[in-house]
Amino acid sequence: MIPELSFHEISQLGIVLTASLAILLIAYVTAISAKDLVRLLISLELMFGAVFLSIIPLFTISVTAAYTVAVLVIFTSSSELLVLITAIILLDRRKRGIQIEKVAVGGDSL
Amino acid sequence: MDAATLLIAALSAFAVVASVGVLLTRDNFYAALYMAVAMVSIAAVYAVFNLQPVVVLIVLIFVGAVGIVTVAVAATYRFATPRKVDLLWVAPVVGVFGIVAYFYYHLVSGDIKITPNPDSFASISTDYFFVILFLVSLMILMMLSAIKLAWRGET
Repeated sequence: MIPELSFHEISQLGIVLTASLAILLIAYVTAISAKDLVRLLISLELMFGAVFLSIIPLFTISVTAAYTVAVLVIFTSSSELLVLITAIILLDRRKRGIQIEKVAVGGDSL
Repeated sequence: MDAATLLIAALSAFAVVASVGVLLTRDNFYAALYMAVAMVSIAAVYAVFNLQPVVVLIVLIFVGAVGIVTVAVAATYRFATPRKVDLLWVAPVVGVFGIVAYFYYHLVSGDIKITPNPDSFASISTDYFFVILFLVSLMILMMLSAIKLAWRGET
């Protein structure tokens, strides 16, 4: 017996959440397979993009609260990425390269 | 499926394809460009829902400022490293995506209905004053730490 497949229309919510999940997972794989810090930075930006998409359903509950969350996410992620760009340039100055292998230790000793 | 849903599906698919481009390209510069395309597509999804303030914030700040700096950094450190995506990681990722997408498809229903309120964005600063205050404090702290790092790097 072959089970009968039933199809129904995917909702807007399903599309947005599925795309958000797909972008997040692709960003994870990019981060895992990154050989240098610039690719890692780009994958982080993609992760934040997935977060932006997942915020959209929040607007159905409270528009003002969702705007606040969006503003918080956009500004904190932008600041974080700018600090990371600074760290990448400093790593290049000190270690003469931005390969992942050059990041042997973290914290202050970097 | 109405026109808005089709448009959202097309823009979301475009964002996912651009993300796959980030994963597959070997050049950092093109990866940054693909990332910018993905972010603009995500902003376009917001535009479909008529959430214009968020579109402006994403396009001007995230793509316009941070994205352009990333493209510039990627153009400076433009490596063509051999592409090596570990299949051992791809397999569980595809599995997780399949399982979650299956449940999204079958269990998540309903369209996203956003009641437009032109005063919502303007009321953030009054309704969430302390949140905005803490956000500005956090950003100043992060920027100060970046400047401190840069000074220490020069000495």
